[in-house]
Amino acid sequence: MKTFEEKWTAWLDDKLAGAELAAFESSLPDRAAAEAEKASVRQLRLLLKRELSPSMMTNEEFFSHQLRERIALGQASTSAHGAHSPWWTVPRLLWSGAVSVAVFALCAVWVMQDAEPLEQSQSLTQVLNARLDPTVGPDATVTMFETKENRVTVLWTEGLKSLPSDYAAK
Amino acid sequence: MHTEATAAQPDVPELDLVKRCQKGDSEAFDELVTRYRTRVFGMVYNMVHNEQDAWDLAQDSFLKAWKSIVRFRGKSSFYTWLYRIVMNVTIDWIRKKQIKGSGAEFDDAIQLREIDPASKTVPKPDALPFENMERGEIRAQIDRAIAQLSPEHRAVILMKEIEDMQYNEIAESLGCSIGTVMSRLFYARKKLQNLLKDLYENI
Repeated sequence: MKTFEEKWTAWLDDKLAGAELAAFESSLPDRAAAEAEKASVRQLRLLLKRELSPSMMTNEEFFSHQLRERIALGQASTSAHGAHSPWWTVPRLLWSGAVSVAVFALCAVWVMQDAEPLEQSQSLTQVLNARLDPTVGPDATVTMFETKENRVTVLWTEGLKSLPSDYAAK
Repeated sequence: MHTEATAAQPDVPELDLVKRCQKGDSEAFDELVTRYRTRVFGMVYNMVHNEQDAWDLAQDSFLKAWKSIVRFRGKSSFYTWLYRIVMNVTIDWIRKKQIKGSGAEFDDAIQLREIDPASKTVPKPDALPFENMERGEIRAQIDRAIAQLSPEHRAVILMKEIEDMQYNEIAESLGCSIGTVMSRLFYARKKLQNLLKDLYENI
Protein backbone atom coordinates (compact mmCIF):
# COMPACT_ATOMS: atom_id res chain seq x y z
CA MET A 1 0.00 0.00 0.00
CA LYS A 2 1.58 3.25 -1.14
CA THR A 3 1.44 6.32 1.04
CA PHE A 4 0.13 9.63 -0.24
CA GLU A 5 3.72 10.91 -0.57
CA GLU A 6 4.73 7.93 -2.69
CA LYS A 7 1.71 8.22 -4.97
CA TRP A 8 2.14 11.98 -5.30
CA THR A 9 5.82 11.60 -6.19
CA ALA A 10 5.06 8.89 -8.72
CA TRP A 11 2.32 11.07 -10.23
CA LEU A 12 4.68 14.05 -10.52
CA ASP A 13 7.22 11.85 -12.29
CA ASP A 14 4.56 10.33 -14.59
CA LYS A 15 5.16 6.90 -13.08
CA LEU A 16 1.52 6.11 -12.35
CA ALA A 17 -0.44 4.29 -14.99
CA GLY A 18 -3.74 2.53 -15.61
CA ALA A 19 -6.17 2.05 -12.78
CA GLU A 20 -3.71 3.42 -10.22
CA LEU A 21 -3.41 6.69 -12.14
CA ALA A 22 -7.15 7.01 -12.56
CA ALA A 23 -7.79 6.27 -8.88
CA PHE A 24 -5.20 8.77 -7.73
CA GLU A 25 -6.35 11.55 -10.02
CA SER A 26 -9.96 11.03 -9.01
CA SER A 27 -8.91 11.30 -5.36
CA LEU A 28 -7.33 14.71 -5.85
CA PRO A 29 -9.53 17.42 -4.30
CA ASP A 30 -8.26 20.17 -6.61
CA ARG A 31 -7.04 18.86 -9.92
CA ALA A 32 -6.05 22.29 -11.23
CA ALA A 33 -3.88 22.98 -8.17
CA ALA A 34 -2.27 19.59 -8.53
CA GLU A 35 -1.44 20.26 -12.17
CA ALA A 36 0.05 23.61 -11.18
CA GLU A 37 2.17 21.83 -8.60
CA LYS A 38 3.32 19.36 -11.24
CA ALA A 39 4.34 22.23 -13.51
CA SER A 40 6.17 23.84 -10.61
CA VAL A 41 8.16 20.67 -9.96
CA ARG A 42 8.99 20.49 -13.65
CA GLN A 43 10.35 24.06 -13.50
CA LEU A 44 12.38 23.21 -10.42
CA ARG A 45 13.82 20.19 -12.23
CA LEU A 46 14.83 22.31 -15.21
CA LEU A 47 16.48 24.88 -12.97
CA LEU A 48 18.45 22.26 -11.04
CA LYS A 49 19.48 20.45 -14.19
CA ARG A 50 20.65 23.64 -15.83
CA GLU A 51 22.57 24.97 -12.85
CA LEU A 52 23.93 21.80 -11.26
CA SER A 53 24.87 19.62 -14.20
CA PRO A 54 28.39 18.35 -13.65
CA SER A 55 30.58 20.42 -15.90
CA MET A 56 32.84 22.18 -13.43
CA MET A 57 35.58 19.63 -12.88
CA THR A 58 38.90 20.96 -14.01
CA ASN A 59 42.22 19.12 -13.87
CA GLU A 60 40.59 15.81 -14.65
CA GLU A 61 43.87 14.22 -15.62
CA PHE A 62 45.48 15.38 -12.40
CA PHE A 63 42.60 13.80 -10.53
CA SER A 64 43.34 10.45 -12.20
CA HIS A 65 47.08 10.90 -11.74
CA GLN A 66 46.69 11.56 -8.03
CA LEU A 67 44.39 8.59 -7.67
CA ARG A 68 46.83 6.33 -9.53
CA GLU A 69 49.55 7.40 -7.12
CA ARG A 70 47.40 6.68 -4.11
CA ILE A 71 46.51 3.23 -5.46
CA ALA A 72 50.13 2.48 -6.27
CA LEU A 73 51.17 3.62 -2.80
CA GLY A 74 48.52 1.39 -1.27
CA GLN A 75 49.66 -1.58 -3.34
CA ALA A 76 53.30 -0.98 -2.43
CA SER A 77 52.53 -0.78 1.26
CA THR A 78 50.34 -3.88 1.01
CA SER A 79 53.08 -5.91 -0.70
CA ALA A 80 55.72 -4.61 1.73
CA HIS A 81 53.43 -5.43 4.60
CA GLY A 82 52.77 -8.85 3.09
CA ALA A 83 56.50 -9.63 2.81
CA HIS A 84 57.12 -8.93 6.47
CA SER A 85 53.77 -9.90 7.83
CA PRO A 86 53.86 -12.36 10.70
CA TRP A 87 52.36 -15.80 10.31
CA TRP A 88 49.77 -14.98 12.96
CA THR A 89 47.36 -12.95 10.91
CA VAL A 90 43.91 -12.29 12.35
CA PRO A 91 42.11 -15.02 10.35
CA ARG A 92 44.78 -17.53 11.23
CA LEU A 93 44.57 -16.56 14.88
CA LEU A 94 40.82 -17.06 14.75
CA TRP A 95 41.18 -20.47 13.13
CA SER A 96 43.87 -21.53 15.57
CA GLY A 97 41.74 -20.42 18.48
CA ALA A 98 38.72 -22.31 17.20
CA VAL A 99 40.74 -25.49 16.61
CA SER A 100 42.32 -25.24 20.07
CA VAL A 101 38.95 -24.88 21.72
CA ALA A 102 37.61 -27.86 19.78
CA VAL A 103 40.59 -30.04 20.73
CA PHE A 104 40.30 -28.98 24.37
CA ALA A 105 36.58 -29.78 24.36
CA LEU A 106 37.21 -33.22 22.86
CA CYS A 107 39.93 -33.99 25.43
CA ALA A 108 37.74 -32.77 28.27
CA VAL A 109 34.84 -34.97 27.16
CA TRP A 110 37.15 -37.97 26.79
CA VAL A 111 38.77 -37.46 30.19
CA MET A 112 35.44 -36.95 31.91
CA GLN A 113 33.98 -40.07 30.33
CA ASP A 114 37.03 -42.04 31.43
CA ALA A 115 37.16 -40.58 34.89
CA GLU A 116 33.58 -41.11 35.90
CA PRO A 117 33.70 -44.91 36.61
CA LEU A 118 36.95 -44.54 38.57
CA GLU A 119 35.50 -41.87 40.79
CA GLN A 120 32.39 -43.94 41.32
CA SER A 121 34.52 -46.96 42.35
CA GLN A 122 36.60 -44.85 44.69
CA SER A 123 33.59 -43.46 46.39
CA LEU A 124 32.21 -46.94 47.11
CA THR A 125 35.07 -49.21 48.10
CA GLN A 126 38.82 -48.94 48.15
CA VAL A 127 41.41 -51.64 48.74
CA LEU A 128 43.62 -50.19 51.42
CA ASN A 129 45.97 -53.01 52.19
CA ALA A 130 46.48 -56.74 51.66
CA ARG A 131 48.99 -58.49 53.79
CA LEU A 132 49.80 -62.13 54.51
CA ASP A 133 51.91 -63.66 57.19
CA PRO A 134 53.24 -66.95 55.69
CA THR A 135 53.78 -68.45 59.16
CA VAL A 136 50.10 -68.17 59.99
CA GLY A 137 48.70 -69.83 56.87
CA PRO A 138 50.41 -70.34 53.50
CA ASP A 139 47.12 -70.35 51.56
CA ALA A 140 45.56 -67.48 53.44
CA THR A 141 44.80 -64.05 51.99
CA VAL A 142 43.86 -60.94 53.85
CA THR A 143 42.24 -57.97 52.22
CA MET A 144 41.06 -54.67 53.75
CA PHE A 145 38.35 -52.52 52.22
CA GLU A 146 37.09 -49.10 53.19
CA THR A 147 33.56 -48.13 52.27
CA LYS A 148 33.39 -44.38 52.31
CA GLU A 149 29.63 -44.11 52.04
CA ASN A 150 29.12 -46.07 55.24
CA ARG A 151 32.39 -44.92 56.85
CA VAL A 152 33.44 -48.53 57.73
CA THR A 153 36.52 -50.63 57.07
CA VAL A 154 36.09 -54.32 56.17
CA LEU A 155 38.77 -56.93 56.80
CA TRP A 156 38.27 -59.85 54.42
CA THR A 157 40.18 -63.06 55.13
CA GLU A 158 40.30 -66.27 53.11
CA GLY A 159 42.10 -69.58 53.81
CA LEU A 160 42.79 -68.67 57.39
CA LYS A 161 42.05 -71.59 59.78
CA SER A 162 42.33 -69.61 62.96
CA LEU A 163 42.93 -66.01 63.86
CA PRO A 164 46.15 -65.58 65.86
CA SER A 165 45.71 -64.06 69.27
CA ASP A 166 47.87 -61.07 68.50
CA TYR A 167 45.51 -60.27 65.56
CA ALA A 168 42.68 -59.64 67.94
CA ALA A 169 40.97 -56.39 67.51
CA LYS A 170 41.63 -53.81 70.13
CA MET B 1 50.24 0.97 -12.31
CA HIS B 2 51.31 3.40 -14.96
CA THR B 3 51.92 7.05 -14.32
CA GLU B 4 50.76 8.53 -17.59
CA ALA B 5 47.19 9.37 -18.34
CA THR B 6 45.29 6.47 -19.80
CA ALA B 7 43.66 6.91 -23.18
CA ALA B 8 39.93 6.43 -22.92
CA GLN B 9 38.66 3.05 -24.12
CA PRO B 10 34.98 3.73 -24.72
CA ASP B 11 34.50 0.49 -26.65
CA VAL B 12 35.50 -1.79 -23.81
CA PRO B 13 32.39 -3.08 -21.99
CA GLU B 14 32.16 -1.96 -18.41
CA LEU B 15 31.81 -5.48 -17.04
CA ASP B 16 35.06 -6.51 -18.75
CA LEU B 17 36.81 -3.60 -17.09
CA VAL B 18 35.36 -4.61 -13.74
CA LYS B 19 36.55 -8.21 -14.18
CA ARG B 20 40.03 -6.99 -15.06
CA CYS B 21 40.00 -4.77 -11.98
CA GLN B 22 39.07 -7.78 -9.87
CA LYS B 23 42.22 -9.47 -11.12
CA GLY B 24 44.28 -6.48 -10.00
CA ASP B 25 44.48 -4.58 -13.29
CA SER B 26 44.74 -0.97 -12.17
CA GLU B 27 44.75 0.31 -15.76
CA ALA B 28 41.23 -1.05 -16.18
CA PHE B 29 40.25 0.79 -13.02
CA ASP B 30 41.82 3.93 -14.42
CA GLU B 31 39.47 3.63 -17.38
CA LEU B 32 36.48 3.33 -15.06
CA VAL B 33 37.67 6.39 -13.18
CA THR B 34 37.94 8.31 -16.46
CA ARG B 35 34.36 7.37 -17.30
CA TYR B 36 32.88 8.40 -13.96
CA ARG B 37 35.15 11.00 -12.38
CA THR B 38 33.22 14.02 -13.68
CA ARG B 39 29.84 12.66 -12.63
CA VAL B 40 31.12 11.56 -9.25
CA PHE B 41 32.91 14.83 -8.61
CA GLY B 42 29.86 16.82 -9.71
CA MET B 43 27.59 14.76 -7.50
CA VAL B 44 29.81 15.16 -4.47
CA TYR B 45 30.31 18.86 -5.18
CA ASN B 46 26.56 19.38 -5.24
CA MET B 47 26.38 17.63 -1.88
CA VAL B 48 29.18 19.49 -0.08
CA HIS B 49 29.48 22.77 -2.04
CA ASN B 50 33.24 22.96 -1.70
CA GLU B 51 35.63 22.08 -4.50
CA GLN B 52 38.51 20.86 -2.38
CA ASP B 53 36.26 18.74 -0.17
CA ALA B 54 34.52 17.34 -3.25
CA TRP B 55 37.89 16.48 -4.78
CA ASP B 56 39.07 14.68 -1.65
CA LEU B 57 35.79 12.82 -1.17
CA ALA B 58 35.71 11.73 -4.82
CA GLN B 59 39.28 10.48 -4.46
CA ASP B 60 38.43 8.61 -1.26
CA SER B 61 35.37 7.10 -2.92
CA PHE B 62 37.31 5.80 -5.91
CA LEU B 63 40.05 4.47 -3.65
CA LYS B 64 37.47 2.65 -1.56
CA ALA B 65 35.89 1.28 -4.74
CA TRP B 66 39.26 -0.04 -5.89
CA LYS B 67 39.86 -1.75 -2.56
CA SER B 68 36.45 -3.40 -2.51
CA ILE B 69 35.89 -4.10 -6.20
CA VAL B 70 36.63 -7.81 -5.67
CA ARG B 71 33.35 -7.94 -3.75
CA PHE B 72 31.33 -6.47 -6.64
CA ARG B 73 29.12 -9.32 -7.88
CA GLY B 74 27.43 -7.56 -10.77
CA LYS B 75 23.95 -7.76 -9.29
CA SER B 76 23.52 -4.05 -10.01
CA SER B 77 25.20 -1.82 -12.55
CA PHE B 78 28.71 -0.68 -11.73
CA TYR B 79 27.74 2.97 -11.41
CA THR B 80 24.93 2.13 -8.97
CA TRP B 81 27.47 0.21 -6.90
CA LEU B 82 29.96 3.05 -7.21
CA TYR B 83 27.34 5.61 -6.25
CA ARG B 84 26.59 3.64 -3.11
CA ILE B 85 30.20 4.00 -2.05
CA VAL B 86 30.24 7.67 -3.03
CA MET B 87 27.07 8.36 -1.07
CA ASN B 88 28.28 6.48 2.01
CA VAL B 89 31.57 8.36 2.01
CA THR B 90 29.93 11.73 1.40
CA ILE B 91 27.02 11.38 3.81
CA ASP B 92 29.37 10.13 6.56
CA TRP B 93 31.62 13.12 5.95
CA ILE B 94 28.71 15.59 6.11
CA ARG B 95 27.42 14.02 9.32
CA LYS B 96 30.86 14.13 10.97
CA LYS B 97 31.32 17.72 9.86
CA GLN B 98 27.98 18.68 11.36
CA ILE B 99 28.83 16.96 14.63
CA LYS B 100 32.15 18.80 14.80
CA GLY B 101 30.59 22.09 13.67
CA SER B 102 28.73 24.67 15.67
CA GLY B 103 25.29 23.32 15.00
CA ALA B 104 23.04 21.41 12.70
CA GLU B 105 22.98 22.62 9.15
CA PHE B 106 19.53 21.17 8.82
CA ASP B 107 16.97 19.56 10.98
CA ASP B 108 14.81 16.82 9.56
CA ALA B 109 12.24 17.15 12.29
CA ILE B 110 11.88 20.88 11.79
CA GLN B 111 11.84 20.36 8.08
CA LEU B 112 8.98 17.93 8.20
CA ARG B 113 7.10 20.00 10.75
CA GLU B 114 7.39 23.17 8.74
CA ILE B 115 6.11 21.73 5.49
CA ASP B 116 2.54 20.71 5.08
CA PRO B 117 2.62 17.78 2.63
CA ALA B 118 -0.50 19.05 0.92
CA SER B 119 0.57 22.67 0.87
CA LYS B 120 1.01 24.63 -2.30
CA THR B 121 4.24 26.55 -2.56
CA VAL B 122 3.70 30.28 -2.64
CA PRO B 123 6.23 32.94 -3.70
CA LYS B 124 7.54 35.01 -0.84
CA PRO B 125 6.22 38.56 -0.83
CA ASP B 126 9.66 40.07 -0.23
CA ALA B 127 11.22 38.49 -3.29
CA LEU B 128 14.38 40.06 -4.59
CA PRO B 129 14.66 41.22 -8.22
CA PHE B 130 16.15 37.98 -9.56
CA GLU B 131 15.91 39.19 -13.14
CA ASN B 132 19.24 40.98 -12.65
CA MET B 133 20.92 38.29 -10.65
CA GLU B 134 24.20 36.98 -11.94
CA ARG B 135 24.53 33.28 -12.68
CA GLY B 136 26.90 32.87 -9.76
CA GLU B 137 24.34 34.27 -7.42
CA ILE B 138 21.72 31.88 -8.76
CA ARG B 139 24.07 29.00 -8.17
CA ALA B 140 24.84 30.25 -4.67
CA GLN B 141 21.14 30.45 -3.89
CA ILE B 142 20.57 26.91 -5.11
CA ASP B 143 23.54 25.70 -3.07
CA ARG B 144 22.16 27.39 0.04
CA ALA B 145 18.77 25.76 -0.53
CA ILE B 146 20.29 22.32 -1.02
CA ALA B 147 22.44 22.83 2.08
CA GLN B 148 19.24 23.07 4.10
CA LEU B 149 18.29 19.53 3.14
CA SER B 150 19.47 16.53 5.09
CA PRO B 151 22.29 14.57 3.39
CA GLU B 152 19.86 11.81 2.44
CA HIS B 153 17.39 14.26 0.93
CA ARG B 154 20.19 15.97 -0.97
CA ALA B 155 21.34 12.66 -2.35
CA VAL B 156 17.85 11.68 -3.48
CA ILE B 157 17.02 14.96 -5.21
CA LEU B 158 20.39 15.12 -6.98
CA MET B 159 20.29 11.54 -8.16
CA LYS B 160 16.74 11.94 -9.45
CA GLU B 161 16.81 15.41 -10.97
CA ILE B 162 20.44 15.68 -12.10
CA GLU B 163 21.45 12.08 -12.73
CA ASP B 164 18.02 10.95 -13.98
CA MET B 165 18.33 7.76 -11.97
CA GLN B 166 15.31 5.51 -11.47
CA TYR B 167 13.76 4.99 -8.05
CA ASN B 168 15.17 1.47 -7.75
CA GLU B 169 18.66 2.64 -8.69
CA ILE B 170 18.54 5.40 -6.08
CA ALA B 171 17.27 2.89 -3.52
CA GLU B 172 20.18 0.56 -4.28
CA SER B 173 22.67 3.40 -4.10
CA LEU B 174 21.39 4.55 -0.74
CA GLY B 175 20.59 1.13 0.68
CA CYS B 176 16.94 1.94 1.39
CA SER B 177 13.52 1.00 0.02
CA ILE B 178 11.91 2.53 -3.05
CA GLY B 179 9.14 3.86 -0.83
CA THR B 180 11.71 5.69 1.29
CA VAL B 181 13.24 7.18 -1.84
CA MET B 182 9.85 8.45 -3.02
CA SER B 183 9.01 9.84 0.38
CA ARG B 184 12.35 11.64 0.64
CA LEU B 185 11.87 12.98 -2.86
CA PHE B 186 8.48 14.34 -1.87
CA TYR B 187 9.83 16.31 1.10
CA ALA B 188 13.00 17.41 -0.65
CA ARG B 189 11.01 18.82 -3.56
CA LYS B 190 8.59 20.59 -1.24
CA LYS B 191 11.48 22.17 0.61
CA LEU B 192 13.26 23.26 -2.56
CA GLN B 193 10.02 24.56 -4.05
CA ASN B 194 9.54 26.72 -0.97
CA LEU B 195 13.11 27.99 -1.12
CA LEU B 196 13.56 28.39 -4.87
CA LYS B 197 10.13 29.13 -6.27
CA ASP B 198 10.91 32.80 -6.68
CA LEU B 199 14.01 31.87 -8.58
CA TYR B 200 12.62 29.45 -11.12
CA GLU B 201 9.39 31.36 -11.69
CA ASN B 202 11.23 34.54 -12.55
CA ILE B 203 13.81 33.15 -14.93
